[in-house]
Order: sequence, then C-alpha cells, then structure tokens
Amino acid sequence: MALLNRVYSSQEQMLDEVIHLGEEIVESSNLEVLRENANLNGESFSGKMSKFGSEYAKWYANNFVMPEQLVQAIKDNVVYVHDLDQYAIGTTNCIFIPFAKLLREGFNTGNGSVRPPTSIMTAMALVAIIFQSQQNAQYGGVSANKLDYDLAPYVAKSFNKYFRKGLGYFEEGDIESEYGEVSMGRSDLAELYPKSFTYALKETEAETLQASESLIHNLNTMSSRAGGQIPFTSINYGTDISPEGQLVISSLLTATMRGLGSGETPIFPIQIFKCKQGINQNPEEPNYHLFLKAAECSAKRLYPNFANLDAPLNMTYYDPTNPDTEFATMGCRTRVVADRFGRNHLSGKGNLSFNTINLVKLGLEHGIVLGKRQEADERGFYKELKHYMDIAMEGLLHRFKIQSVQKAKASDFMMREGVWEGGEHLGPEDAVGDLIKHGSLSIGFIGLAECMKAMYGKHHGEDEAVYNKAYELISYMRTYCDTQCERHNLNITLFATPAEGLSGKFTKRDRVTYGTVPGVVDREYYTNSFHIPVYFSLSAAQKIKLEARFHDLCNAGAISYIELNGNARSNPAAFLQIIKYALSENVSYFSINHPIDRCSACGFEGIIGATCPSCNSHENDVHIRRLRRVTGYLTGDYQTRFNGAKQAEVRDRVKHL
Amino acid sequence: MNLCGYYPESINEGEGLRAAIFVSGCRHYCKGCFSPATWNFNYGEPFTPEREQEIIYDIVNNPLLSGVTILGGDPFFSSPEVSEFIDHLRMEAGPISVWIYSGYKYEELIENTDSDEFHLLRRCQVLVDGKFVEELRDPSLLYRGSSNQRIIDVQHSLSERTITLWEPTYTF
Repeated sequence: MALLNRVYSSQEQMLDEVIHLGEEIVESSNLEVLRENANLNGESFSGKMSKFGSEYAKWYANNFVMPEQLVQAIKDNVVYVHDLDQYAIGTTNCIFIPFAKLLREGFNTGNGSVRPPTSIMTAMALVAIIFQSQQNAQYGGVSANKLDYDLAPYVAKSFNKYFRKGLGYFEEGDIESEYGEVSMGRSDLAELYPKSFTYALKETEAETLQASESLIHNLNTMSSRAGGQIPFTSINYGTDISPEGQLVISSLLTATMRGLGSGETPIFPIQIFKCKQGINQNPEEPNYHLFLKAAECSAKRLYPNFANLDAPLNMTYYDPTNPDTEFATMGCRTRVVADRFGRNHLSGKGNLSFNTINLVKLGLEHGIVLGKRQEADERGFYKELKHYMDIAMEGLLHRFKIQSVQKAKASDFMMREGVWEGGEHLGPEDAVGDLIKHGSLSIGFIGLAECMKAMYGKHHGEDEAVYNKAYELISYMRTYCDTQCERHNLNITLFATPAEGLSGKFTKRDRVTYGTVPGVVDREYYTNSFHIPVYFSLSAAQKIKLEARFHDLCNAGAISYIELNGNARSNPAAFLQIIKYALSENVSYFSINHPIDRCSACGFEGIIGATCPSCNSHENDVHIRRLRRVTGYLTGDYQTRFNGAKQAEVRDRVKHL
Repeated sequence: MNLCGYYPESINEGEGLRAAIFVSGCRHYCKGCFSPATWNFNYGEPFTPEREQEIIYDIVNNPLLSGVTILGGDPFFSSPEVSEFIDHLRMEAGPISVWIYSGYKYEELIENTDSDEFHLLRRCQVLVDGKFVEELRDPSLLYRGSSNQRIIDVQHSLSERTITLWEPTYTF
C-alpha cells in the first residue's frame, strides 16, 4: 500500500515510531494514552491488548488511509477525528436498538438462536444480551430509546401467567378459559377474580423489580466490550402510561436507587427520563409520580438525566401514536431523529462518525488576545473556519465511503438481525451503504467560550454582544451542515461534542504553540461545546438561559449541566425547580451534577470533605470513592480513571448553587 | 450591620433554591460553632445601601429562587436592620418567603411582642431555632446542625398560639 502522507525521511524512522507505540503501552509510560477513555482500564492486560490494536490502527489510518488534507488539519490542531482507530476498517458509531422487534421475533447471537421471551424476567435478561451482542458491531454507544414501551408486553405476559395460576390456586375460575387479553389494566377481571388478580399484581411487581435489579447488575458487570470495557449502554423511558409500562419505569428507578451489591451507585446504564407535557410534567398527569421518582433517583444517583420532548427541535417528527418518534438520546448526548430518506424515527439507526473543530485555535489566530490587532479579524476567522469545516466534511465523506463498502457480515449481529433497520434483508456479502445512509454524519465543536475570549476578550457568559457573536458563529456552523445535507444528499448534523478524551488534547498542543494565554490557554482543557465555562460564576437560571438557545442549533445533540454544591438528596424542591426551569427554557437534554462521595468505612453517601461526617474517618486512612460525571458517562472514581485534563476540569467546576 | 457571607443561590439553607445572607455578630458563643469568626459584629463587609440594592437586584432577577434565608452570626442581634431589609426586599420582590436562623428559641423570641426581635420574627415564614449543641450534632439532619434545633412554621405558630413544625413540600 502506498504511503499517502510522506513525512518520513526513512524506513527506519517509520519503524522507530511503530516500536515506540508498543513501548509506551507495555511500560505504561504514557498515562494520557492509557486513560484516554475513563471507562477503560488502560493499565490492565486486556486494556493494553486493545491499546495495541487501536494505537497501530490510528497510525495506519494516519499514514495510509486518510486524505492528506485531513491529516494536515489534524496536525494543524484544528480538526479532530474521533475514534480514529476505527477509520480504516469502516466501523460505524452508535445506534438506537429496536428492542421491541428483537424481543418479539427472537434473534440469533451467531452462536445460537434465542426464542421470544414469555416473561419480564427473561425479557430483561435478553435486553442485556442484545446490548452486549450489538456492542461489538460498532464502536460507540448502544441505546434503548423507549424501553418502557419495549418491555411492557412482557410484563403483561408475566401477569397473564400469574393470573391463571391464581385462578387455579384460589379456585376462582378455569385456567384454560378465554379471558381476552389479560393485562394489569383490566378492571373487569379485578372485580370478577379479585384474589387471582391481586396475587398476579403482587407477583408481577416482584418479578419486574427483580428483573430490573438483575438488568442493572448485568449492565455493570459484563466486561464484554473490547479491552475489558463495560458496554456503553443508555436507556430512555418515562412516557408509557400503560400500567405495565409504568411498572417497568418504576422498577428500574427503584433498582437504580437501591444500587449495586453493596449499595454503590450504578455507572451503567445511563438513564434518561423522557419529559412530556400532558404525560408526566404536572400533578394531574398520568406519569407525574414517575417524574418525581426520577428526580428523586437523580438526586441520589446522578441518573436519570432528563430529555425534553417538548423542545421545538424535538417536536418536528413527534407523532403521539408512535413512541419511536419520541425524542430520546444516547447517554453521551448524540441525537439522531430526522432522516432525509424518510426514516424519521429513532430505532434502527444511529450516528456514523463525527469530526470536531477546535474553535479556540481559530480564535487565537484571528482574535485580539495575542496583541496582534485591535479588533477581531472576523472575515479571516470565518474564511479559515469554512476551510477547516470543508476538510472535516471531506473527511466524513471519505470515511462514509469506507463504511459504505463494508459487507453486512462485518457488523454481523447488527445487520443479520436487523438491529440496523433493513439489515436482515442483506446477504452477508452485500455492502451496507444503502442502509447506513439513514444514519448521520456530524461536525462537532469545542471551546466556544475560549474562542470568544480569544477573539473579543470576553466569553459569551460575560457580555451580551459577545453572546450574540457566539450565537452567530454556531448558527453559521449549523447552516453549513444544512447546506452540506443538500449538496451530498446525506444527513449531516451539528454536534456539541462530548469531549472526554479531547478536552485536553487540543489544549496541550495549543499551549506548545502559543504558550499560556490568560483566559484562553491557561487551563488543562477547553470548555465543552457551547457551555459557559465551569470556572465562571453565574446563577443556575442564567446558565440555563444562556445555553438553552444553542440546543436548538445542535441537531446532532447537546447537553446542559448545572453544578450543585450541596446535598441534592435533602432538597427535592430545589432539584425539581431547576429541572422544570431547564425544560421550560427548551433545553433539549439536561442534567444536574452534584457530588456523590462514598465512605468505604461506614458506607455513608453524600458530600464528604477530608473527613466523613458520619464516622469521622479521614481520607488518608479510608478510601473515599468520589463519583463524578464525564462526557455524560459516570466513572467509578475520578482520581484514578480521569485523564489529567478532566481531573482539572472537575477541580475547577464552580457550583452554581 | 455587617454581612459575613452571601450566596446568591444555595440549596443548603432551606427548602428550594434560596439566596442566603449571613449577618455578622452573635453572643450565643456555642461550643463547636462552625464559624466563630462571625461572632464579631465588625467581621465581614458593611451592609451599605448599595450592597442592599445589589442583593435585592439579584433576588428579584432570579426566576429560580424560592426565597431568602437569613443566618449569621445571629440575625436577631441586628433585628431592626434586618427587619428593614426584609421590608425593602418585599417592596421590590413582593411577598417573598423568608427563612431565618437563630440561637434563640422561639419561646424567647415571642416573649415580648413589643420587642425588635418579635417584629423581625413575625416578618418570617420559617424559623430554625436553638443553639448549636455539639453533643447533639447530627450531619443527617435537614437544614440543622444539632437535634435540639427545630424548624418552625412561624405564621402558623403565631396564629394558632402553639408551635407548629414546618413540613417539607416534597420529600424524597
């Protein structure tokens, strides 16, 4: 294969580089590489094995696969290609899994076939297996966009079983008779066969709770993702108003609040409660009690987050008769709703890949901060932005071509079982291009705040005029994406990038180029997407208001957070007020960060300084587990699993309250 | 009057999101007090009319606030000034809820209905009363430091002439 990017003066130099890749991994000498992903233990055997694969795959993509311009843009530190290790082989990113279909029809994992479940216990066990089987067909997250609807039929099946059993036990009726569709909402059956009905309810509730507990345990214990990772699972629920759907929601929340084996907070799945006026937002609505329970769970366990079905962006394709059109999200914030080829629903498709633009570097080059000019050079800025967006776009298209020619058998479970809609109709040797075009390609951005600071001396939280400039910039990026949709006849969307591995990478290299630049390059990370910097102090309401308008622009997904300083568990009123306010301001996806520390001596959970307020143990003597959120995912203990930039970001977070 | 602290928003000093205002000066001298520096009436920053306006502005412009909480020190050692502040605040913000903390007990504050202390108390919705008693410290208590302290529904207690404890609107 020809070397695309001729940067090496000799074969030896190339070889040296490859050898060095291996050495860093074997010797654990580069912690930044090993901790790139907070949920992967890069110092473990399987973590290192996976690093060997991924570091070489990146090197290979850089030298033999990617367009030269893209490689240059990466070198310029303006474009970042996410999951570069998957570029050359054409893997796709993430998906909403059609659980309803897979459960209804049964599926084959490749080693054996699985019949449709006939109880909620089995259905929830199969959910874990489906997540796991799907995980290795892609590199990103796997999400259930409406797990309450998907699982409700199996609650009904369990109920039916218990009801008939009850009829026999209590001699209330004939087990084999025809009772129509037996379900928890049948008040006629409750009246005619009260004992059997009550018995069936109790048993079904117990089974659903137990099934939920084992689902959550399973999703935290199967290290089946490459490199010993737990699959990146997300589950959305909240809007099914059938008694069976409500039981699924309520049981998942109870199980999450109970926590894992010794009561610790589950890290997976990311849970998202779907908020909808008329369904769960006001006291007289059928699922309001579940919204309150979700808030309680979130105050205790950081999850669920809250998805806003009423935000204008999320209403476009909403059809009240089809839950598959309800907005839901990957936990990390990825959003895939619209499809120019007609699949304007969620399940059966996902994001294909995304590239991120470093707005800060462009700001440094064209702004006032380096003292090169009195006024920001906006023309120069936009010209260069367009240039790099073109390159990012070309990169996405180039990668899409590689993805398109992959055979169905390469993504195996995903296509064979029709997890990706229509995949089941392809032969193993068929190329997937015509199906994956329903997914999205996205351009993301990072560091709007530092970019504004570099351009104008203030960021968009500090000054109204600058806020307008910031809004204009992101609007421009969105328009660019919309235009590219038409040009290439593909779904191209704008993404408020989750910046886990990336938050320090751009910064580190810009620091080498520019040195420390106050307010711009003086921390270890750049601010996430359009967020107001975590180190800037302003009220919760202001932060929500300022960020809300950007949600509407980022059709590939965005999230806003509020940082709470204090024990969220003891102030439900405040917690609810903040959520409701964010929803009313049309924030599309929202969550509240609050510290959850756990004393390993006495099990106390809450806020722990140097000493545990409950048993007085000191952190020097006992381990205090400090749970924090990064990129939307929780991570076990941020001091051992976060990379340096993310640790710094957590330190700097100003509590809004 | 001096302020020894001000949080525009807090979740730790009463139900909902509240602005928390700490008034300097206290003569209760509780053993184990978490901020003995605030016993001094000259501690912190002077509560000037400008500062008062700033704080009122913050409160009026924050749609998320459920009210304000006044703590100390002990605000009842500066009762006339604090009452005046509450009046000014309500002129701008309307009938906003006020929580107040004191080392005095409710019974002591209502003893003399002509006193400045009583006039301050009757302006408030909720009183967290009583000294901090180190032996009774319990970190799991809601909005309080030690178990002798009570959260009292002031208006209800005054009108019914018997102490009614405050009940949270939402519980988890």
